[in-house]
Parts: sequence; structure tokens; C-alpha cells
Amino acid sequence: MIINLTKTFQHIASRPGTQKLMFRNISNLVRTTLQQKSKLSTLCQPKTRCWQRPGSGMEIWVQRWGSNVLCVRLASGRPKKAMSNIDALIYAISLVIVWCGMGYVGVPFYKAFCSQFGFGVTPDTLRGHNREKVEHMERGDRVLSVGFSADKDAAFRWNFKPQQTRMNLVPGETALAFYTAQNPTDKPIIGISTYSIYPYKAAQYFNKIQCFCFEEQILNPHEKVDMPVFFYIDPEYDDDPELEFENHIQLCYTFFEAKEGLNLPLPGFSSRGSTPATGKPATVSS
Amino acid sequence: MATPAVRFKPRPPDRGSFPIDHNGVCKNFMNEYMECLSNNNYDNSKCREQSKVYLQCRMENQLMEKENWKRLGYADLKETTDCVSKDKKLDLVKDDCA
Repeated sequence: MIINLTKTFQHIASRPGTQKLMFRNISNLVRTTLQQKSKLSTLCQPKTRCWQRPGSGMEIWVQRWGSNVLCVRLASGRPKKAMSNIDALIYAISLVIVWCGMGYVGVPFYKAFCSQFGFGVTPDTLRGHNREKVEHMERGDRVLSVGFSADKDAAFRWNFKPQQTRMNLVPGETALAFYTAQNPTDKPIIGISTYSIYPYKAAQYFNKIQCFCFEEQILNPHEKVDMPVFFYIDPEYDDDPELEFENHIQLCYTFFEAKEGLNLPLPGFSSRGSTPATGKPATVSS
Repeated sequence: MATPAVRFKPRPPDRGSFPIDHNGVCKNFMNEYMECLSNNNYDNSKCREQSKVYLQCRMENQLMEKENWKRLGYADLKETTDCVSKDKKLDLVKDDCA
């Protein structure tokens, strides 16, 4: 039997990668071990590693079949440490935590990205606040001051200025303000305006119910008209921590002459000569 | 997490644009409103009646779409629809209109 085992050993040892130098030592060891058969049964369970040379990864595995040892296998190479169940569980849990964390982080990131690039803008968000909100909103207590300024393109020949430079109001209260425009020339001039709000953070709370912006307005020669702005400040202004110390909002209207090739940052609608409020064409009386 | 700076995006008005009052039909009411403002340190809450009257003038002269006052934020003011006249000044102190 020992001779058979030795032959088996020789066969295994002749494979590339095995260390032939150790062959004799191992075969001696096996012979010694197998001679102590009584010890073998207690030392080695089936498919049990009986011996390992430290550092080299060389092992002797004994395969038992009944009470006989059938083969001795020389295993070489570094033993691979299989991942235990605990490790796999920890990996799985950490993966779940990472994905959940990415989901939480994604919400403000998504909002910031969309507000910057304008994706996902619905007609409701584009159009300003819901009309019905005005009916149910409550007046706040905090007094804010709104400043009015007027600006125009350098080549634009209207005289355009606000009728009041400031106004005090509270959030949730609708307010009316006036600008005056005059055409001092002898020809009708069509103007179109846009506005800006400072500070920018307050702009989301500044809601215009009706005004004169983004629509072409025509003024006859030597005509002077009043242009109202009907607006309110959202009651949620008071709840914004970033605006806790901002009690002044500056509204600035800028007029340009409406002509071909003029590109204003209009929020999506513009019609020549008709107003959406009444649906009637703007009449020019002589 | 720092968010990028918000760029100002102009928004259209809820109800569109006011037609221009070429004939100045509501100019008197506008002047009354401005006078009220200058007398009250430009305090909007003290001149709401006058602003409502001006808007009513606009509605009656097809310069503004007619709307329920509550939807324009004037729910707290009494109804004065029967009292507006283009020719005479409005006495706002009275509860009922003669």
C-alpha cells in the first residue's frame, strides 16, 4: 500500500508546479503516518488536511474510503481563504447602506441641477403661483419694503420711471404700484419690458398677478400712460431662513424697443398686439 | 452640501398683461391712490380701498378682465361695486351707497 501511495505521490509530484525537492520528505512522512494506522483514524477525518508545511502552502490531504486510505493528494499553492458568511453579510449590508445614502443625497442634487438647467419645469412652476392661492392666503405681520426702479435700453426713446420709489407692505397682501411711460417722439414706438428682482432669493416669493411686462406695448406719439403692477409677496417669505434679515426687495423694470432680432429672456409667451387678459387686440386710438 | 447659485428666471404674471389705458379713463383713480400713498408714508395697507377702486375702474372699461375680489386678495374689504363712478369722487367712508 505504501508503495502504491508512493507511486501516486510520484505521479502528483511530477505535475508542473509541485516541488520535487519536498517529495521525498513528504513520502517519508506519509509512510510514517500510515504505519500508525490507529492514530490515523483519530487524526484524519475523510478529506481532512493532515499536514501542512507552514509558509509553503503544501498540504497532504488524506482520502479515506472505509478503513483504507485510497489516495494521498499533494496540494500546493497558497490556500485560498473562502469568504465566510459573516463577511458576505457585512458586504451586502454596506452595499444597501451606500445605495440608500445615494438616494438621500440625490434629492437636493437633483433639485439644484434642474433649477440650474431648467429641466422638469412644468407650466405651473413656470406660470407663477396658482391663482387660487391668492384667495386663501393669509397676511403676515412682517413689514417689508419694496423699492421700484426703472431702466431702459440706451437707444430706447421712451421716458420711463416709477411713480413711487418704495412701498411698505406685508406678505400675503396684494399691492398696486405704478410706472409712467411717455413717448416724446413723433412716431409710435413699441416697447417690451422685462424685470428683475433683488435679492435673487426673494424672487421666488414675488408674484405678479398682472403687470405690463413681456408683452409688446405701443405708445402713440407724445402719449403718456400709467403702467400698473399688481403683485403680492408670498406669505412663505417669512418662513425662509435665508431671508430672515432681508426686509427690502428691489423691483426693476427694463424697457427695450421691440424690433426684429431682439431676444429677451421671455418665459415662454409673447404676442404682438393682443393681451391674454382680455383676449382683445390692443387698440391704438389716434 | 453647497448648492449652485440660483439664476434669476423671470416669470410671467398670473393673469397676463394690463392693456394700456391710452385714453386715461382711470387716471383720476390712479392719482387718488398715489395721493393716499404719499400721505400714509407709502404704506400699502392703508390705501387698499383706493387700489381696489382703480382696478374696478379698469374692469368697467375693458381694461382688465372682471374677477371676483376675493381672488385678487381683497376679501377683507367690503363690496363697493355699486359705488364707482367715473365722474365723481368716491366717498369710501359710507357703508352703503346712495
